[in-house]
Amino acid sequence: MATVKNVQAAQPVPKLQNYEKGTSNLSRSLARLRRHRMALVGAALLVFVFGFVIVGSILIPVRASIYNEPARALQYPSGDLPFGTDVIGRDLLARTVYGGQVSLFVGVTAVIVQMIVGTLIGLIGGYMGGAVDSLLMRLAEAMLSIPQLFLALIALRIFSDPTQFPDFTLFGRTYSSTMIVIVFVIGLTSWMRVARIVRSVVLSVKEQEYITSARSIGAGNLRIIFRHVLPNCLAPIIVSATLGVASAILLEAYLGFLGLGVRAPTPTWGNIMGEANSYIGLWYYWFFPALFIMLTTLGINFLGDGLRDAFDPRSLR
Amino acid sequence: MTQYILRRILQALPLLFILSFVLFAFTNALGDPLAVFAESRQRPTASQREEIRRRMGLDRPMFEQYVTWMVGNDWQMIDVNGDGSNIQPGTRRGVLRGDLGVSFVTRKPAWTRIEERLPATLTLMIPSYTITLVLALAIGVYSATRQYTLVDNIITGASFFFYSMPIFFIALMTIYIFGVQFSRWDLPALPIGGTGNGTTIDLIVHMLMPVFCLVAIQLAGYVRFIRSSMLEVLGQDYVRTAHSKGLSESNVVRKHALKNAALPLITLIGLDLPFLLAGAVVTERIFAWPGMGRLFIESFERADVPVMMAILMLLCVMVVVFQILTDVVYTWFDPRIRY
Repeated sequence: MATVKNVQAAQPVPKLQNYEKGTSNLSRSLARLRRHRMALVGAALLVFVFGFVIVGSILIPVRASIYNEPARALQYPSGDLPFGTDVIGRDLLARTVYGGQVSLFVGVTAVIVQMIVGTLIGLIGGYMGGAVDSLLMRLAEAMLSIPQLFLALIALRIFSDPTQFPDFTLFGRTYSSTMIVIVFVIGLTSWMRVARIVRSVVLSVKEQEYITSARSIGAGNLRIIFRHVLPNCLAPIIVSATLGVASAILLEAYLGFLGLGVRAPTPTWGNIMGEANSYIGLWYYWFFPALFIMLTTLGINFLGDGLRDAFDPRSLR
Repeated sequence: MTQYILRRILQALPLLFILSFVLFAFTNALGDPLAVFAESRQRPTASQREEIRRRMGLDRPMFEQYVTWMVGNDWQMIDVNGDGSNIQPGTRRGVLRGDLGVSFVTRKPAWTRIEERLPATLTLMIPSYTITLVLALAIGVYSATRQYTLVDNIITGASFFFYSMPIFFIALMTIYIFGVQFSRWDLPALPIGGTGNGTTIDLIVHMLMPVFCLVAIQLAGYVRFIRSSMLEVLGQDYVRTAHSKGLSESNVVRKHALKNAALPLITLIGLDLPFLLAGAVVTERIFAWPGMGRLFIESFERADVPVMMAILMLLCVMVVVFQILTDVVYTWFDPRIRY
């Protein structure tokens, strides 16, 4: 029995349903996404995490996340302080909320940097070919042969000199400059896979007839790249961007955990856990930031997997 | 084949040279290695610091330091006092002649530092990686041959869950449960960190938790990978043909499907193996394991350029070596591939 089920080719190809809103590739993909159960669970998890951080930031004043009162240090969770307090008596609920702001911000913006750099390098390499291409791909290869954490640590140390980049104030809140540095460090040490994916799409697209016909009516390189080549890369870019947010958040958390990421006074999920590492016996200290990191990455991975299935025209299930 | 391997090595050499230069420039920009002396009890005077600087060649421009690191300086004379009164010959032989330099912090050869830490990392990484691969093959193949059954769905869900789990979450949880709570409940608790008192039994007891965490984290990714490549192969025509010839299920899975599905797995293993040498930075930190990851962090924090460079270059060379090895292994598994 099992053997028959495994023969995929024997299954009848399901008919395309009639979709209400047009039948463009995008709307068909979105419709597939809506029927993808895992993707919906992932989206729900992300809504919960973002909701927690947004609603929390509205209800809890910023002060609460940095206000310390040593008299109430390391308190067990209670009605007033549902997540307990840390070693210098700061409210861990407030710190988890505001740490979440920073972690999510770093995750999303780092991926934007990563996507811009990766897409540009992939487009240039794939489209130009020749020496430029092999140079860029060697660069990607070189950067892939060193663990990302090591690269990020070195770059972070070099560019986070507090005398050169002072802490800054935005909307009445002081942020550590390392927060911005870390965005670029994570973005610039993780563009390689995106660049490779985009390059491979470009290589297959650029031999198509419509590119030749576009060129024959006098379209310039830039027009061909942005009008005809880039739209074909969008699906893989969106999928790897989604999954990239998870790894960016994880990398930020690892750096913070090692005490080498975003510096105080700015809390992040990672550096709260780094502080908690000496108090493993007090579960509430490290549990909540870790839980939220896990919920975020879980949600992103579910959603990203659903997106991959939705964009892949072969997976018409 | 030999020709192919030689060509690959020749292609890799310029890459390694450029990488070494870029990494050298970056690690040198990390800070002043002499800053560690500021905290030491016998703080050297300014003139002593100058002398140390000259002896180590740190007064030289970065490019010259790189050349010294690469080819050594035993053909040069060093003016130790800076006034021509004490001129000594250089002692470094350079990376190209097997001298990775001397650690700024411990004054031991950088290679000795690696030799001290590598065994600890390997005792952690080799068992956990082996267990991961064996389990992943078993679970992945099992789950692929029963696609969309209850067991398969549970395995897929669980691997998704663990795949998204940050290593510190699972590590802190296991420590909390088996280390902290077990001792509170007067159960035999597992030791929380370190490598034990030197006996094999104690080492194994100390390895239990870190190995469990590493397996739990790595396993999920491999199971997903093996499952999907097995599914792809199981959908091929030759598998259907094998079935229709009346071959037994296990015969088809092992001989026809698994051997073909192993090819992408070999690529993945070839990419991952060199990084086992880097250790697991976060795991080693949590379990106080004296491995390569800790060594890198320690030398990073004290701007110990020779040790950092030794670790980084070891990794780069191993990446190249394992890429070539992967290609060689490929020809064994797939006779269609010829170089």
